[in-house]
Amino acid sequence: MWKYKKVILVKDTDTGKETVRFSELFNSALRDRGLDGEVQVVRPADINVYDQGIVVKVMPGNITYSKVEEKDIDLIVRKSIKKEEAVKEIQIDPKDKQVRIVLRNCGNIDPENIDDYIAVDGYRALKKVLEENNRDNVIQEMKISGLRGRGGGGFPTWMKWDFAKSQKNDTKFIICNGDEGDPGAYMDRSVLEGDPHSVLEGMIIAGFAVGAKKGYFYIRAEYPLAIKRVELAIKQAREKGLLGNNILGTQFSFDLDVRLGAGAFVCGEETALIASIEGKRGCPSPRPPYPSVCGLWGKPTVINNVETLANISPIIYKGGVWFSEIGTKRSKGTKVFALTGKVENSSLIEVPMGITIKEIVFEIGGGVLNNKKIKAVQTGGPSGGVIPEKFFDTSIDYESLQNLGSIMGSGGMIVMDEDDCMVDIAKFYLKFCVDESCGKCAPCRIGGRQMLELLTEISEGKATFEQVDKLKLISKAMQRASLCGLGQTAPNPVLSTLKYFEQEYIDHIKDKKCASGKCESLFVYRIIQEKCKRCSLCQRNCPAEAIPGDRDKGYAVDQKKCIKCGKCFEACKFEAVAR
Amino acid sequence: MKLTLNNFDEEAKKGKSHNNNWIKVGLSTCGIAAGADVAFDTIKKVLQENQSDVEVIRVGCAGKCYAEPLVEVKIEGMPQVVYGKVNEEVATKIVQKHVLGKQLINDHIYLLKDA
Repeated sequence: MWKYKKVILVKDTDTGKETVRFSELFNSALRDRGLDGEVQVVRPADINVYDQGIVVKVMPGNITYSKVEEKDIDLIVRKSIKKEEAVKEIQIDPKDKQVRIVLRNCGNIDPENIDDYIAVDGYRALKKVLEENNRDNVIQEMKISGLRGRGGGGFPTWMKWDFAKSQKNDTKFIICNGDEGDPGAYMDRSVLEGDPHSVLEGMIIAGFAVGAKKGYFYIRAEYPLAIKRVELAIKQAREKGLLGNNILGTQFSFDLDVRLGAGAFVCGEETALIASIEGKRGCPSPRPPYPSVCGLWGKPTVINNVETLANISPIIYKGGVWFSEIGTKRSKGTKVFALTGKVENSSLIEVPMGITIKEIVFEIGGGVLNNKKIKAVQTGGPSGGVIPEKFFDTSIDYESLQNLGSIMGSGGMIVMDEDDCMVDIAKFYLKFCVDESCGKCAPCRIGGRQMLELLTEISEGKATFEQVDKLKLISKAMQRASLCGLGQTAPNPVLSTLKYFEQEYIDHIKDKKCASGKCESLFVYRIIQEKCKRCSLCQRNCPAEAIPGDRDKGYAVDQKKCIKCGKCFEACKFEAVAR
Repeated sequence: MKLTLNNFDEEAKKGKSHNNNWIKVGLSTCGIAAGADVAFDTIKKVLQENQSDVEVIRVGCAGKCYAEPLVEVKIEGMPQVVYGKVNEEVATKIVQKHVLGKQLINDHIYLLKDA
């Protein structure tokens, strides 16, 4: 048995320096009252409250105190330990901002064991659907739920299903789009690896609703563990009679296969993905016709994203109304985000629609890394844009993000601080799209390349303001004339950085300065003689022998020889190298 | 045994149920990259050395990427705890101090759930 009855968690959430001292103070206060045998004082690594001074949590009861001072210790011990009361004056009530629907089982069940999934009400939605045996009801339930595609587009899922259902065709297909490719996004991988059966169940239900007998998992080959676990899940589901002929003993038959993506980003686009499954080169084709009318091998096909499909089972099992009560008026349910970049707690989070960016970054993410100043968050990857700090109170939903010039996207959220240069960011994402453009249509193939060259000139300080106008012009052409989403959205990172951080572009063009210190070509390294201690470290670290001089005369950078590698800047211990 | 609409409820109950005392290790790509497989093996080994019947369960990613590898521990009568940054040393400690010694471990708790 546990020898204690209670736990006191103590953590200094500002600097961390006072944690040990305060936990000792609690220990001695407990000893004074003879309670040290009953209560364990623990120093946690994370107390899930940030920048609130000394935070103390008493368990059980989950009583949380913030900004605890020495004088409060005795009171906390007297009230919350000896009795079951709280010290109201310093008590806070931190709410868990996350709502886990898609990630409900991730981290809780063994993904390689179908019994684990069934034990947490898995496949009960499928059972319900097959018991009722009414395809219209399923689509109606999806309509009530208000679920929209989580791959980024936000198209109502029920509508896709309904289009495919209404097609008169004996052969139809369901495809799960697991070709996750945005830089910094890993939501789908986590779901496929942590709870593959939830996606399987969603696909089987979709198959029933639209009248498909066959489905494909399209997963990128770079996700070997996800592939392994999905294949295992398919095998287990077949053994249990949940896949294959006569599912659960009914007339409904449906089977699944896995197809691997070979690493082309454009294959996340549905028409390119279909071409890839058909064994053709992964190039998009014009829509309409949409895949729900004429998709895989010319048959009606529903393509849903991994996260969308993981939502199906809870919606059917708990009802569309339940789901529609979460989120905002037009964006229902939750969204999974991969929160990364310059944030304390890089994490995979699931939040209800309507939450603000501020809540995500500061209350869940724990704020900016190393207490730097935050500049923006980037959502939607190469198709999205940056959202500057002044809009952090915006609620997360499809429309409001679009209004800001970004998109919901598949769920990457990258936090950027003062050290991130917006020209550099725009260049990074554009370069990504240029590399990944399939080359089929001219606006994307040529436009992307031209824009990248213009941006490179800006980042090297060789541009005039004419280049900015050209950037805007080409952006417009690409948005309007590109064949698929890749080219249409590729200018977004450029346009949104131009919109919100125009000054940074001006600095690069006019003053030839990069304030964030990212655009290497703009650096001019020089030695500040007043600070220089003549230690010769810069000279010894310079690979280009560009720092002549000696300990008597001092040192200076020969700009003609300097290759701007920054070695001298890093080597100097006295901040005597400026750039 | 194939499931049918009729036998579903009955068969669902028969599935392998887990021990009341368990340790879950997040073994997705992210966790493994951070060394979760080492934590998993270490915990199993040390449990075995001490003839403990605590079950070690492989699970997916729990979401706290910054604290990988993640290990959740449930021992009856004790608070349920998520430990993070579990290397070989911490993994050993989790078995010796938490499971066998019935004490919570400092500096590695990332979430404490009310029992």
